[in-house]
Amino acid sequence: MDKAKFNAKGLLRNQQVILLVVLFAMAAFFTSQNSIFLTNAVFGNIISDWVPLVLIAIGETFVIISGGIDLSVGSAVGLSGIIAAFSMRYFTAHNMTDNLSLTLGLLISIGIGAVVGLVNGFLITKANMVPFVSTLVTLGAARGLCIVLTAGGPIADGPSNAIDLSVPKVGPFSYPGVAVLGLVIILGLFMHKARFGRYTFAIGSNAFAARSAGINVNRHLVKIYALSGALAGIAGMYFYLRLGVGSPTSGQSGELNAIAAVVIGGASLSGGVGKLLGTALGSLILVTVTSGLIIIGVAANWNQVVVAILIAAAVFSQGIRTLGKKNK
Amino acid sequence: MASKKKLSLVAVAGAAALFASAAVPAASQAATTKTIAFVMGAINDPFFNAMKAGAVAEAKAKGVKLVWQGDVQYSPATQIPVVDQVLATKPDGLVLIPTDPVALQPSVAKAKAAGITVVNVDTHVNDLTDVVSFITGDNADGGAKAADALATAMRYTNGKKYQVVVGLTSATATTNVARLEGFTKAVAAKYPGIQIVDKAYSQSDSAIANTNVNNWLTKYPNLRGIFAIDGTNASGAAAAIQAKGLIGKVALVGYDAYPANVKLIQKKVFSALIAQDPAAEAKQAIDTLVDFWAGKTSTIVKNVVIPNVVLSGTTSKADLKAFTYVA
Repeated sequence: MDKAKFNAKGLLRNQQVILLVVLFAMAAFFTSQNSIFLTNAVFGNIISDWVPLVLIAIGETFVIISGGIDLSVGSAVGLSGIIAAFSMRYFTAHNMTDNLSLTLGLLISIGIGAVVGLVNGFLITKANMVPFVSTLVTLGAARGLCIVLTAGGPIADGPSNAIDLSVPKVGPFSYPGVAVLGLVIILGLFMHKARFGRYTFAIGSNAFAARSAGINVNRHLVKIYALSGALAGIAGMYFYLRLGVGSPTSGQSGELNAIAAVVIGGASLSGGVGKLLGTALGSLILVTVTSGLIIIGVAANWNQVVVAILIAAAVFSQGIRTLGKKNK
Repeated sequence: MASKKKLSLVAVAGAAALFASAAVPAASQAATTKTIAFVMGAINDPFFNAMKAGAVAEAKAKGVKLVWQGDVQYSPATQIPVVDQVLATKPDGLVLIPTDPVALQPSVAKAKAAGITVVNVDTHVNDLTDVVSFITGDNADGGAKAADALATAMRYTNGKKYQVVVGLTSATATTNVARLEGFTKAVAAKYPGIQIVDKAYSQSDSAIANTNVNNWLTKYPNLRGIFAIDGTNASGAAAAIQAKGLIGKVALVGYDAYPANVKLIQKKVFSALIAQDPAAEAKQAIDTLVDFWAGKTSTIVKNVVIPNVVLSGTTSKADLKAFTYVA
């Protein structure tokens, strides 16, 4: 047990160093192809994609470390953004100030996301559905609701200053971006320094042992899925700020990007292993590829191929190192 | 429960007696009220909602019964069962928006065999022998009109160079392909100074379209124009132009008259929007069927092209309202 823990720790430390090297190598390559890559404007574009992705990817990290999977995060992003958009349209029509309207919109968005997460939690713990199926159900239900509620079109007429808030003001970060960065750090402490994180790792390593040790496994799982949903809700609101409208397709396929970020970040899909810094870097690598390929003028469809290669490389390198350790 | 059943039996008997007394006019009326089944592409698209509004209004005006059907997905796999179900109810006419030109061909043959008159709208099956008329918007024409609108908005003058980009949803969707072709041809023929420097795909996600345009605006500091080929691309591009403070500096021509985007014409974010007229397509389809049944076959045109409309800052408020898709 001790040995396994030690190995995992060493391996993950390596993983993050490797991720940083990959990130710098990519930046160097993109810059060599088009020097405009190394500008604050491009970093701003990258960070504006990173913010929503890292939010859902962190939720996904908690879920995956606990031994589960959350396929509903992308749909939760869409649904929470839509409901917030409808609410803010109503508030604006009733002469509420923009800032108050946006604050309420954020709370509503978080609430809707959390509800999606709670439904997942209850389906898993009360209805005994496996996470893959229960979150597949909410993925479909939430995305379907997006389309039914909006008839497919964007929802506008909310606060007029929404888009301004998405503009980079602090280096490449917008003000909400700075807030999300702070949240990422807090969630990192929550995962690695607090009881919440310890329970999450314990459940993912061995749910039976965790239960014997007195952890209320079911209650903790519900909390984890609710957290994942709530973070998706923040991402939903962030997309609203970016587009100035609630779009029914926002967050589409977000679950796959989130899982990719988590896997590249070094977490194990079998649970019990993962690091938040890895996920944050994994997300950053994904969005850097997106912007980088556009800047150097590679056809957009190559994006998926590059991401696939990155995932394969990440998992392969983990496998090699794990084997190496085992053979010792 | 039992008493309810009895009651309804009595009611039915009463109604039957009532009808019997007026049997002749009732029967003739039933024969003249035709039913038109309208099977469209995807219920999640404002384009089809606008089409429905046109269909409902025209069905009412012509005194026909309209049955509106469709699936969430734009896919033949989900559309074929819907068509089968509709055919089982034996409507008099079928207005079909085939989601695939090959896969829906047998459904058309089936309808014809059952004596149901078929019209195609928006897209068509490959073999139009069994189809009375095919009515569509002209996507190539829309692309060409977008090129004109973009040139006007950039104050195009010969001899100068203009960098423009095109935001698409997919490389294969037929509407995208036709619009891009129309746009490219018009640029080559009329505006040699316009260079299309980049293209990208948004997979129907406004946020991805937004990322693409954000990066283009960084990559091409001298970018003069954007053609956003559909509604989701238009939303994403509009947000990018606003966030980067480039309203009026980079001309933006979008497609599809989503209410949110029509409002952005007034704010000068969009130089123009190319609007289709789905309501007119639906109206034409219903009129065609009614004419066909009335024996006015000489007035029926096999291929009808409904022109696109360019909405811009100079369009009247009434027209803006009339061509905005129903949310």
